[in-house]
Amino acid sequence: MNASEWLGSSAAGIAHAVRTRAVSATAIVEATFAQIEATDGIVNAFTDLTAERAHRRAAEIDAGLAAHDGPIGPAAPLLGVPFAVKNLFDVAGLPTRAGSKIERDRPPALHDSPLIARLEQAGAVLVGALNMDEYACGFTTENSHDGPTRNPHDTARIAGGSSGGSAAAVAAGQVPLTLGSDTNGSIRVPASLCGTFGLKPTYGRLPRTGTYPFVASLDHLGPFARTAQDLALAYDAMQGLDRRDPACAERPVEPTARTLADRIDTLRIAVLGDYFQEQAGPEARHAVARVADALRVQRSVSLPQAARARAAAFVISNAEGGALHLPDLRTRAADFEPLSRDRLLAGALLPAGWVVQAQRLRRWFALRAAELFQEVDVLIAPATPCAAPAIGTEWLTINGQRLPARPSLGLLTQPISLIGLPVCAVPVWNCHPTMPIGVQLIAAPWREGMLLRVAHQLELTGVAQAPVATVPTR
Amino acid sequence: MDHETAEAYVDAAAAALGLPLDPDHRPGVVSHFMLAAAMADLVAAQGLRLDDEAAPVFVPIEPGEGLAGADKKRAR
Repeated sequence: MNASEWLGSSAAGIAHAVRTRAVSATAIVEATFAQIEATDGIVNAFTDLTAERAHRRAAEIDAGLAAHDGPIGPAAPLLGVPFAVKNLFDVAGLPTRAGSKIERDRPPALHDSPLIARLEQAGAVLVGALNMDEYACGFTTENSHDGPTRNPHDTARIAGGSSGGSAAAVAAGQVPLTLGSDTNGSIRVPASLCGTFGLKPTYGRLPRTGTYPFVASLDHLGPFARTAQDLALAYDAMQGLDRRDPACAERPVEPTARTLADRIDTLRIAVLGDYFQEQAGPEARHAVARVADALRVQRSVSLPQAARARAAAFVISNAEGGALHLPDLRTRAADFEPLSRDRLLAGALLPAGWVVQAQRLRRWFALRAAELFQEVDVLIAPATPCAAPAIGTEWLTINGQRLPARPSLGLLTQPISLIGLPVCAVPVWNCHPTMPIGVQLIAAPWREGMLLRVAHQLELTGVAQAPVATVPTR
Repeated sequence: MDHETAEAYVDAAAAALGLPLDPDHRPGVVSHFMLAAAMADLVAAQGLRLDDEAAPVFVPIEPGEGLAGADKKRAR
């Protein structure tokens, strides 16, 4: 295999090839920038490239392997693996633009965010930063400042958002691993629409230090990849307390990659019914049925008042997002993304009573989920109501309801992130004529390993797959 | 919430916050505020007890804990 073929395999495959000297880290980096050059004119996943840094890092890895004394040893799990991050992560030397016009004029970040540093300690090589909805406020990555990110599987369609560049870069085979953030679905929605795996860990599991916030009550970070194993390798490398994030949990590292192939036949798995079926179109329900069939699941359970939980997530996000940006909304509202500006302005005005009630409902709903998890281990639910719509779509029709397209893509993800449960999104094909659609695997807090095992089994059965898209060249 | 009430609230709250609203932005702001009001109505429909406290729980920070915001005693 040549470097380009290794790039299209997986992070684990690349690390193995670099470790065994079948290919150099430098050749992988060169293949990465060649693939970005060939595809990103259309996909528009990247907003920044860190070519000099990546080449320097790859050369250090190669020299260290040759001399048997480099800082990154051959056992590093992500040895030579190229990765990229949503542009709300601090990257030393780049302004943390967070998809905005306003932030790109601020001074560059002095340090990398801790998750970037942890992936690099595991041998990975940062190659750039990725497009997103402004301030992570959106589900489509139709960014008016940097242009829309296009879905690599059909470039007339959206990639989803707000971590659209993160999903598209993986689907387009530009990199095997990216990082994104998820407040209301911003990892799971683009993973669903672009046909990649995505992990939103438990709230508080990965530190958010050195990233631009949106809604501190609900913000999570996590990886995208084309295999469950790659998600596990990245997740394992990123775990660990960072006290600078006040929400970061003081829990020991719980590795998941080494148990990925463990049996799952003792797990109690059920489909989430009611709201999670009613708000899903036929493609989404078909995808859930395919996953349930593959896992031989017939049981259906209910999480009460999911619509109210979604409403609580909406109110909290609206209020915290509006308050965060109030100083700039006062003085330069016209510089905000037109697609989300009026929502942020309205959010700054919400009465306190609405927000407090939403935070109280959040705890009530978390208790109902905890009760449900006494009798079930993994829940299956659709990730998005439909497959990727065309860029510019204003309205969706879901089971006869006419809904505004942009906010409604998060209908099925918002109730789950409200209460911080870990979710692995897995990509399913053949439910839509040409496009993938994702399914959420949901567990009780801190049980990411269980989800990754189920995702891995679904991959082995062929039900969940994340092929590299064939992107047309201009 | 009817449109007239939403407009009156938005104008008053924006003035109280010192948030000038561009006339071109105002219709969108009113529309989004009405959407948020509908969401708040859904939330309010949930009966809650006195002991259903808000989800975030403040953790006091001891002096001399080093990094700003650090709270070494916190465990989940």
